[in-house]
Amino acid sequence: MDVAGKAEAKTTGEPERAQIEVTTWVTKHVGGDGTGSKLFDEAIGRGDTTRSVLRRFTAKFPELDSALWSPDHTELGSHIEVLVNDEVLGVSYELDSPLTGGERITLLGQFMGG
Amino acid sequence: MSSTSTMTRTATKPAPSPVYAYAGKILRVNLATGKTWTEAWSEADRREYLGGIGLGAKILYEEVGPKVGWDHPDNRLIFATGPLAGLPVWGTGGLTVITRGALTGGATSTQANGFFGATLKYSGYDAIVMQGQAKKLSYLYINDDVVEVRDAAHLAGKDTWETQQALETEHGLSGHRLSVYAIGPAGENLVRFAAIHGDYGHVASKNGCGAVMGKKKLKAVCIVRGTKALAAHDTRGLIQAADDIAHDLKTDPSTSTLYNYGTLPGVVNLSKLGVLPIKNYTTNLTGDVDMKEWEAPALRGGFDHRGHQCNACGMRHCHIQVIPKGRYEGERVDEPEYEGWSGAGWTIGLTDKYSVSWLNTRIDRACVDVNEFGWVCGWVMECMEKGYLTEKQVGFRLTWGDTEGAYKLLQMISHRQGFGDVLAEGVKRASEKVGGKAAECAIYTMKGASPRGHDHRGRWEEMLDTCTSSNGTMESANPTFQTEVGAPGRINPFDGEQVAKLVGMIRGRRHFEDSLGGCTFTFRTKMANLARALSAATGWDYRLEDAVRFGNRTAAILRAFNLRCGIGTEVEYPSARYGSQPVDGPAKEHDIRKQWDRMLDVWYETVNYDRKTGKPKRDLLRSLDLGWLEKDLYGKK
Repeated sequence: MDVAGKAEAKTTGEPERAQIEVTTWVTKHVGGDGTGSKLFDEAIGRGDTTRSVLRRFTAKFPELDSALWSPDHTELGSHIEVLVNDEVLGVSYELDSPLTGGERITLLGQFMGG
Repeated sequence: MSSTSTMTRTATKPAPSPVYAYAGKILRVNLATGKTWTEAWSEADRREYLGGIGLGAKILYEEVGPKVGWDHPDNRLIFATGPLAGLPVWGTGGLTVITRGALTGGATSTQANGFFGATLKYSGYDAIVMQGQAKKLSYLYINDDVVEVRDAAHLAGKDTWETQQALETEHGLSGHRLSVYAIGPAGENLVRFAAIHGDYGHVASKNGCGAVMGKKKLKAVCIVRGTKALAAHDTRGLIQAADDIAHDLKTDPSTSTLYNYGTLPGVVNLSKLGVLPIKNYTTNLTGDVDMKEWEAPALRGGFDHRGHQCNACGMRHCHIQVIPKGRYEGERVDEPEYEGWSGAGWTIGLTDKYSVSWLNTRIDRACVDVNEFGWVCGWVMECMEKGYLTEKQVGFRLTWGDTEGAYKLLQMISHRQGFGDVLAEGVKRASEKVGGKAAECAIYTMKGASPRGHDHRGRWEEMLDTCTSSNGTMESANPTFQTEVGAPGRINPFDGEQVAKLVGMIRGRRHFEDSLGGCTFTFRTKMANLARALSAATGWDYRLEDAVRFGNRTAAILRAFNLRCGIGTEVEYPSARYGSQPVDGPAKEHDIRKQWDRMLDVWYETVNYDRKTGKPKRDLLRSLDLGWLEKDLYGKK
């Protein structure tokens, strides 16, 4: 597993963080080769939700941004599964569920067939 | 070479001309007498039933009565292709096998590819309907208008690849010039989950269609690539539609992996969702296996390989490979698709990719369904580990990941030797026979059908579909652009109501795909795109709503067939293990049993069938112009 970037350095009074794991073909959108996983840390602030954290994260990667979201950025597109703590979004977490830090968000490329 | 009948030049009434996209004829074969004949089918029937399972469901319903069991000579074995087969659309060599199957005793539709569908059309036929039982092992030879039932004594006992090679040698034809679909020893020995294999690596695998073929003493169907022309109504429009579909396959993020690697990415993806079946559903953890080695490029890497594409296909997913090292070094194999990696691999605790590749091809060559083999073999392994089956019962010690042991079991099953005779009945019947704790470990639907190579405890939509379907496998296809039929793009996969509604809404898509004569992978596009290709090919104005209606019509006919066979709502649930709660992994908190009844309620409401009787409701049948079926199901009023 390749730890590819750290959004912000930890300091005293450091914010809580969530880990974002980008996997399989989705890694191509964040500088990977389409295999394996790339890990990122993302700071979590007061009032953050799955949506706001993902919006902030994908803003750094334009290709991922257009792949993950619907054109108007209000909904997720249909090609990337979002898991929070290993559960598909919609089970324990919704897009607008608050995050408090320590969560792991996984972006898993949907595949067809099989 | 001897033949069991004299050479027959089929007497044919010319079909009305022009017949766009179709050959316009159905070939009929009575294997008992060797008689062959053809029937033209009308434009109206072609539009209503399309081909593949659409056509097959109609014939099955009309000609196979409730007393005609899977092993009865009057059962029909139908190889049907569709209007896009043989035309310049990717992956259009497909055929669908339709019959009354040996596992469920009900309707079967199972699709495979290669060149058969195109070759059949070039020979002048849209489908072959075989009835009767040959007096001795035979094969069907087709070379344009020459159709013969020939002696196959020299092919007895050969596996499917050996059979194809022998027929290629016999006829001096190879490659794309001869298409062969055959059974191996498992079919000859009436293994209930025997498949029909063709063109080195393609399998119509479901519901024991190979056992039906074996019962008919039909070793193979062998077609010389024909010389008849096929015409599209609007060639330019067809090519434009085909190019658009191909473009989408190459560029759409979710299908581009399919384009490049077929279903290989499934192993890693599904493992993250708790959907990869590991050691007969005893765990959902991949343990110390380096999953980076199971990424698609790594799975393909290391093998010498070359493309082995089907008719008119530009995909990169079918490969013939040579195992480069280890015990099976130098052996030629067909690159497993996802279900090969699961059924011949993870399900039985085998994670060495060279061994899985080898075993998967051996399973194909024996003509065994790799999914059911996984459930059978995994069940034996678990039961031996737990002491529910003994070495004395099985005949030898079999442990997780034992390639040679699994192969030995395959041979025992294929030849019905020793305990293999029990296992050849499929895991449902075998586990019921053994009983006790062992029975609780077996994975099956109560109809007897084999689930696909997933852990459906993390993929509820497929479990529901597999349990409610009427074709021995699945009737929907998810995820596949379901928003075009108004279904949500995303649901909570563990909310039974949402799942059931989705499954009901997308049901029938697979019937539409499987009636066009192409590949489910190259047809992973919007149904509207397929309807556009169909319109250009035939000259019809065929639209998305026609495709949806077609899927629902076909599903209703298959449902009525099964009800007539006595397969009703009372068997629409999973076995204890199949429907159990996972002990670990991403789906461990979710127990489908708690929601099953409510899921059925919602599914029945969505598809507009009666919850108690299982019948499609009258208003539905009328809306689908199935008045004749309404009369059968409800009487005259």
